[in-house]
Amino acid sequence: MRLLRLAMSVTAVALVAALGSAGASAQQYPTRPINLIVAFPAGGSTDIGARVLAGIAEKMIGQPIVVVNKGGAGGQVGWTELARAKPDGYTIGFLNLPATNTTILDPDRQAIFNEGSFTPIANQVLDPGVIWVAANSPYKTLKDLLDAAKAKPGTVRAATTGILSDDHLAILMVEEANPGVSFRIVHLLGGAAQMKETLGGNIDVSFDNVGGIVPQVKAGQVRALAVMDTERSKFLPDVPTAKELGMPTVISSSTRGIAGPKGMDPAVVKKLQDVLVKAMADPDHIKRLEDAGLAIKPMIGDEYVKYFNETHEKAKKYTEWAKKEKK
Amino acid sequence: MFDTLNYLLAGFAAAATPTNLLFALIGCFLGTLIGVLPGIGPAAGTAILIPLTFQLDATGAIIMLAAIYYGAMYGGTITSVLINVPGEAASVITCIEGHAMAKKGRAGAALGIAAIGSFIGGVVATVLLVVVATPLSKLALSFGPPEFFALMVVGLVLVTSLAGESLLAGILMTVTGLLISLIGLDPVRGAPRFTFGMPELYDGLNFIPVVMGLFGIGEILATAEKPYREVIRTNLKGLIPSRDEWRRSMGAIWRGTGLGFFLGLIPGVGAIIPTFMSYILEKRLSKHPEQFGTGVIEGVAGPETANNSYANGAMVPLLTLGIPSSPTIAVLMGAFIINGLTPGPLLFQERPELVWAVIASFFIGNVLLLILNLPLVGLWAKILEIPYQYICAGTLLFCIIGAYSINQSIFDLWVMLGCGIIGYLLRKLNFPLAPLVLGLILGPQIEKSMRTSLEMSAGDFSIFITRPLCASLLALAVAILAFAALHFAPKEIRDPNAD
Amino acid sequence: MRRGWLAAAGAFLALFAGTIYLSLKLPLLDALGPGPGFFPLILALLGAALAVALIVELVRESQGAADTHGAEVAEPFMPDGAALFRMGGIAVLLLAAFSALDPLGYRLTALLFITLLLLVLGVRNVLAIAVVALALSFGVFHSFYYWLKVPLPIGGFGL
Repeated sequence: MRLLRLAMSVTAVALVAALGSAGASAQQYPTRPINLIVAFPAGGSTDIGARVLAGIAEKMIGQPIVVVNKGGAGGQVGWTELARAKPDGYTIGFLNLPATNTTILDPDRQAIFNEGSFTPIANQVLDPGVIWVAANSPYKTLKDLLDAAKAKPGTVRAATTGILSDDHLAILMVEEANPGVSFRIVHLLGGAAQMKETLGGNIDVSFDNVGGIVPQVKAGQVRALAVMDTERSKFLPDVPTAKELGMPTVISSSTRGIAGPKGMDPAVVKKLQDVLVKAMADPDHIKRLEDAGLAIKPMIGDEYVKYFNETHEKAKKYTEWAKKEKK
Repeated sequence: MFDTLNYLLAGFAAAATPTNLLFALIGCFLGTLIGVLPGIGPAAGTAILIPLTFQLDATGAIIMLAAIYYGAMYGGTITSVLINVPGEAASVITCIEGHAMAKKGRAGAALGIAAIGSFIGGVVATVLLVVVATPLSKLALSFGPPEFFALMVVGLVLVTSLAGESLLAGILMTVTGLLISLIGLDPVRGAPRFTFGMPELYDGLNFIPVVMGLFGIGEILATAEKPYREVIRTNLKGLIPSRDEWRRSMGAIWRGTGLGFFLGLIPGVGAIIPTFMSYILEKRLSKHPEQFGTGVIEGVAGPETANNSYANGAMVPLLTLGIPSSPTIAVLMGAFIINGLTPGPLLFQERPELVWAVIASFFIGNVLLLILNLPLVGLWAKILEIPYQYICAGTLLFCIIGAYSINQSIFDLWVMLGCGIIGYLLRKLNFPLAPLVLGLILGPQIEKSMRTSLEMSAGDFSIFITRPLCASLLALAVAILAFAALHFAPKEIRDPNAD
Repeated sequence: MRRGWLAAAGAFLALFAGTIYLSLKLPLLDALGPGPGFFPLILALLGAALAVALIVELVRESQGAADTHGAEVAEPFMPDGAALFRMGGIAVLLLAAFSALDPLGYRLTALLFITLLLLVLGVRNVLAIAVVALALSFGVFHSFYYWLKVPLPIGGFGL
């Protein structure tokens, strides 16, 4: 009986201590661990970038930053969770543009969040889109590829990493910029499947992002035909941009950035931004992401908001096209 | 050849330094721990431990991560045998035979043979990795979506071997499993199927909560039904496989090694399929197939060996081509990359000393695992002697944490409970669970590979017949089906005339 | 056992019928062949056929047995009272625990869950209950959250 009472008092003390830690003001933010939602299962490139950043940023901000994997439905489950969280600064998460945008825009997905549901805080990575083929492919330049796709429309097999991914939209952009060109689009699941099928000869050309192919390019196993960015990638300095090859509208990339639910306290947002910028500039962070072939492109505050809106507009056009054509 | 040997020896020298050995040991230990904790599978567990390795140098970090990977494979076995909860997806089949053995007081033998089989499978697979890595990887690349589809069809047809007494019930369960696996976003168009408007279902029912419910919670409910639970006492004899069991296991182990390694070469196969195939193979080849399900040691030896051999085999496409075969290996690849080891064809040329040290550490890791786990087998078996109520409480909490921690989702918990009740009912009625699980696993793969194949061929079905490898696999499936029909038909025809 | 199988077969049949209905609402054919509704429909039809075959076989068998062996001894299918209490208790407690995880948080929920569970299963040793419940709730939470960095739910009370 005495032991039972002792157990009860211990529990009571623990309860009081735990209760005391709830509730804080922006001045002292953060006073408890911060949850960082990654909308994909552990181990993907978003997750790895997130863990590296979290590991460095938490030392600077003084509280643990816990990466919470909430995968499912290509990210929709995690973003739903983020949109529904309390905007107190203790739940933030990664947005993947344009995947987040297409999820909002695709009526079949019935997303409960929209472009106004988030507070963009800071972008971390911008991975430009790239068009690539296996090394033994007959297509030596982008022109070869486009000629073939125009000569025999619907026969050149082009792979994406998923329906309505940035790769998918990029294919549509290329088709739009080159009337008469038509690909046979094959939706695979993820970069690994793409690599395998292209090297195995089941796919003629793949649309992916730079970060996914750097090792194989260096090994001479694959050939990148064009990078779909405004400037050349420092990981692939010899590869021309689509702009250089006469297609200035073909700009596509996948970005990963941190956002919170809408309605966050600007002071809290500012504090997070300061810490994240510092963490992203940390040499350890830079080195590890570079090793992974991921280009860091910090965009803070309004710059990120603007980028979000631009990406959304662009995605809208191509998503509607994709749905209409059932591609 | 000599070059390779030289490199390997240098690799051993690098990997066997006291510090690196320590890292490997810690990795094996942590990995086993992760494998034992359900839900946090090897993928998530490895990802969580990545920051731990930031402090170490590249070689040490990678050695530790690889050790974590194997350790996790074995850890999943422990919970499967002891409490019928699969620690990770690939351990499901071990629940069927391994736990049955535990209930007969032979948990030690089950765990022991699993450890030994894993060791042999791992070592042999690593040798094969050294010897045949490059040429075989090219072969594996020719496995495209049509071949994948054919392989899955073969797997599906083999379910007739898992049917047990009633073929009808077996096929019924397979069909149910296939249907359940189709819940979610259609893989090709992205249209929601059977989701009733719930985004949590867009990816389908998560596999781990389903099997944790069917097996773990189902088992708990079934056991709670009995009034008096006798504590399972494991005497010394129960710890070591008998001579007869050794003999039967050896064949299973060698077959499992080959099966696991070769399936590991094909990217995308996943760890569950080799274990299931090994189980089916053993049942087919056994002189007493009707005993399967009651605790037959080759039903543990084969799949567990295949599991570990697969893990090593899957390293081949990773190291030679930079293609990860499964989500767990993708995490490992990410971890490698962060530590400056970029898997891919250039690896052997640019940083041979690092690669060979890693390969050497695969050998060392397997040895360490054996040394770590064999003595502990007795300890693990003793856990079953705790009064049942505490095991029950611990297991349930285990399952709750495990299912929750995958996606921090309460929904997964409801799924688990639902499957638990269904698992209990199925168990009561003696419906076979294995075909259900097989259907669950193969469903998405079959549909996706078929429809992707059709995307590639622009709707032309002949793609399945014109490709030689695919056609041969499909022919194999037809042959197996015909054989099974012949095998079963006479009994059915005989039935109405039976007394 | 027979009645159980009959009931199960009937349940399966209902399940498959429902699936057929839902699949017909999805596009069956696609530009490239099978559409989203195709496979579910085929599978559900197959399943329904199998369920019917199973029912037929069961009915035939029971008729055969009745003719030649007389009435089958009815196996006790439903568990007895005490067993039902235990099983029901486990199910109800699990239900309660899941519902309580978010509002109450892991630590509190686990504490209550383990305590009540052990009581339902017949444990009467108060000290053992207290120690095990505390270890499995607060102890586990601490190891998972702070050491393994795996977040477990924190509820309204901050627990």
